[in-house]
Amino acid sequence: MGVAVLLKQVPDTTSKISISGERVDESSVTKWSISPYDEYALENAIKLKEGGYGDVVAITCGPPRASKCLTEAAAVGADRLIHIVTDSSLDSIQIQSILSAAVKESECEIVMCGKQAADTNSGSTGPGLSSSLGYSFVGAATRVSMEGGIVSATRLGPSGPEEVEVRVPCVFTFDKGDSELRRPNVRGIMMAKKKQIDTLTPEDLGVDTSISKVIIESHSSPPEKQPGQKFVGSESVPEVVNKLREEANVI
Amino acid sequence: MVTTVISESSNGSLHPVSAQIVGAAASLGEAITVVCPGGFGSSEAAQLSGVTKVISVEGGCFETYDCLAWSKALSPLVDGTLILSSSSAIGRELIASIAAAKGIPVVQDVTGLTSGFSATRSIFSGKAIEEVSISAPCAISLRANSFEPAGSGGSAEITTIDVSQEVSVAVKKALMKASERLDVSEADIIISGGRGMGDPANFSNLNEIADLLGAAVGASRAAVDTWDDIPHSMQVGQTGKTVTPSLYIAVGISGAIQHLAGMRSSKFILAINKDPEAPIFGVADYGIVSTWEEALPPLKEHLSELLSN
Amino acid sequence: MAYEALDFYDIDSLLTEEERMVRDMVRDWVEERVLPNIEDACRDGVFPDEWRAEIGEMGILGAPLKGYGCPGLSYIAYGLICQELERGDSGVRSFASVQGSLAMYPIWDFGSEDQKEKYLPGMAKGDLVGCFGLTEPDYGSNPGDMITRAEDKGDHFLLNGAKMWITNGTIADLAVVWAKLDGDIRGFIVEKDDEGFSAPEMKGKHSLKASVTSELVFQDCKIPKDRLLPGVRGLRGPFSCLNNARYGISWGAVGAAQSCFNSAREYALSRIQFGHPIASFQLVQNKLSWMLREITKGQLLAYHIGNKKDDGSWIPEQISLAKMNNVDMALEIARMSRDIHGANGILDEYPVMRHMANLESVKTYEGTHDIHNLILGRHITGIQSFTREP
Repeated sequence: MGVAVLLKQVPDTTSKISISGERVDESSVTKWSISPYDEYALENAIKLKEGGYGDVVAITCGPPRASKCLTEAAAVGADRLIHIVTDSSLDSIQIQSILSAAVKESECEIVMCGKQAADTNSGSTGPGLSSSLGYSFVGAATRVSMEGGIVSATRLGPSGPEEVEVRVPCVFTFDKGDSELRRPNVRGIMMAKKKQIDTLTPEDLGVDTSISKVIIESHSSPPEKQPGQKFVGSESVPEVVNKLREEANVI
Repeated sequence: MVTTVISESSNGSLHPVSAQIVGAAASLGEAITVVCPGGFGSSEAAQLSGVTKVISVEGGCFETYDCLAWSKALSPLVDGTLILSSSSAIGRELIASIAAAKGIPVVQDVTGLTSGFSATRSIFSGKAIEEVSISAPCAISLRANSFEPAGSGGSAEITTIDVSQEVSVAVKKALMKASERLDVSEADIIISGGRGMGDPANFSNLNEIADLLGAAVGASRAAVDTWDDIPHSMQVGQTGKTVTPSLYIAVGISGAIQHLAGMRSSKFILAINKDPEAPIFGVADYGIVSTWEEALPPLKEHLSELLSN
Repeated sequence: MAYEALDFYDIDSLLTEEERMVRDMVRDWVEERVLPNIEDACRDGVFPDEWRAEIGEMGILGAPLKGYGCPGLSYIAYGLICQELERGDSGVRSFASVQGSLAMYPIWDFGSEDQKEKYLPGMAKGDLVGCFGLTEPDYGSNPGDMITRAEDKGDHFLLNGAKMWITNGTIADLAVVWAKLDGDIRGFIVEKDDEGFSAPEMKGKHSLKASVTSELVFQDCKIPKDRLLPGVRGLRGPFSCLNNARYGISWGAVGAAQSCFNSAREYALSRIQFGHPIASFQLVQNKLSWMLREITKGQLLAYHIGNKKDDGSWIPEQISLAKMNNVDMALEIARMSRDIHGANGILDEYPVMRHMANLESVKTYEGTHDIHNLILGRHITGIQSFTREP
């Protein structure tokens, strides 16, 4: 019983991202926040808790500053907080090993996280954990509810939104849904302040972070936008439509 | 050294992106096996140049989408130094699940790939570019329209394998796509009209294009102030909403400073305006000097054609 | 562009994590709920009831009060709440100031146990709205000569008179009314359904339009005996309330100034004239630089007086300084910001003229600028110069 919510701390999505020394410059980030899709996971986890399912265990893996995510989660209702502290850059195997060990320790049979993180934009963690834990997987969910051991969810399937049912244990990743994200209140903030955070290292979970199979070689700013191209007359429409696909890759 | 491509299908046939992925694999000079979940598109895959083998994996579990079930069915049949898929929503989920099953790293949504492997991808929603080196064996998903597709002329052998894998996610019913139009603050594509539309009734032309693109319809302050029928909720601009879509199409909008503040952070801007001096052309990536009456019909027609392929 | 709250001397680093979380909670609420709707609320002249409920849910009303369901936050946190609310709109912050400092506080400090238990929990949740009746049509800066009076009729009090310029009056469930009982100024709790009490709304305001401003009219208004606040006599009662509200306003004005500065800076960077952004012109930089200076000074004043409120070492004159200085600088910044926006500054596309108009009220209420000036003058010289009498 219980829902494990995986939260990742990222630069706030309104932050400007600057590059220094071929790396994204963390010192220029003014605000760190919970990755937006993870917030939907947290909201849905708390809804299950309110429906009587069990406690919410919030888990984050990151540097010391990431504990702020857990305090924010506690302020809206997370019961147990786990912080795996590491400064290293991790590949998918390492991060999934760490998180699956933490999930096993928490004994939660439902795992929730965002469909992808706002920094890496990958989306590997949810499905990867499903495979290593042997839990079913429902991706891009917008809503979940539970009755008698069966979870029903609205998810984005290959041909559009669909209602699915699945039994625990299961991993759910979340997309932005209709649910309004609840705000903390003063009482929640004051209680969150007192909540203890279980702190671990990857080594405590048996994971070696010294060598990654994916190494970041460099970060750079996106190429300067090409100067605007101006066309005269509606005859240019077909050409522009092609450019929207070929050059801009927006349709 | 073998590369395995997990193919993608749409409406029972091979999705065009699969040819691009085979093309990417071919440029790395690898022998290519294509694995087709559910068998869809296997005969087309066999005809792609560079493909040496096609494995058509068939079974009841492919009737609906269950990531873990598909991953369990496919993992034993997927091998190689490099496993590739598209970075569509399902492509990513599947390859991540398979990579975890095989204990190999996965890198998603790559736009450039060289042997070694070195990969290029965007991070922070495109605000930065990342170069990574990846140790083989590994799994990589590729972004659509980033690699040249493989040509035809291949004639690979197709092997059919039947699997019986239990499905744990039951699809109960398909939901109607929400008929209400998206809000401007949520949409990835926005088409906005200004006073140059002439009449609020003419916004129906924008609605039609929005429906094609799954876009939201917005308006400039001038349009909102002039016409009661254009509500404040559609306004893009300073106190209206600030938007950051991938594509912003401005029709009959001059581009005065208040409107620009609301949309200038769009990734790409297409402007249609009959006045060649309109300030909007200063920020547009693509500008078409034309009346909306002349430009919108061909726009609708060509978008429709492009999207149905 | 995302909102950047000017914090040049990094006051943020002096805050506790709890204070930061409270500030961010209010900032996010203002961003999501107030800013998209404030111009309409202003045009329509309404204070949306949903805001009352949501402010109540956040648990920020009566911020520094302890017990009876009240938040028990630091005065710094209270200040930050006011700063973030007023960055949205002074009218929204006025709702919270009146509720917390002027209606909840007197009950909390001067009320009986029964009164505290009856009213405070509901007021902390925003379920019961309060207001503060001190100012009269003919008695503003001189509240001591008020003519609203209470007569002891044995088993009830009879109130006669009128109060004016009362924020929240028309929507209030209760009013803390100051009236003379046998020549002594006392506090009375009047409930909205009490016989002989009405609270008509004042219309036609050019300022604080998204706030309810009312008259309180007492015509042989009968209130039960248990409505008298037992714990205070004389002007000390209302003045203690005002000092708390004034403290919050010193932070609130910073929020309004930050909003105007942010808008001016963004506008100046995007407005191109003579081929250059106006932010590249020296006269514009001079104005922005002055704004940064004044906001920074104001923040430090507010933060310091907040600490003194928290450790109890404050005196009222110190609050007068902070309120007066910060409102003055905010009003000047609003005007300067409007100027930088050019003609665009008069549209409600931008928040500046709304802040400018609001700050005219904020400069006058809770002690006019001139009165605070004289409070300091008396402190410096020992000689009062409010009136001609000795």
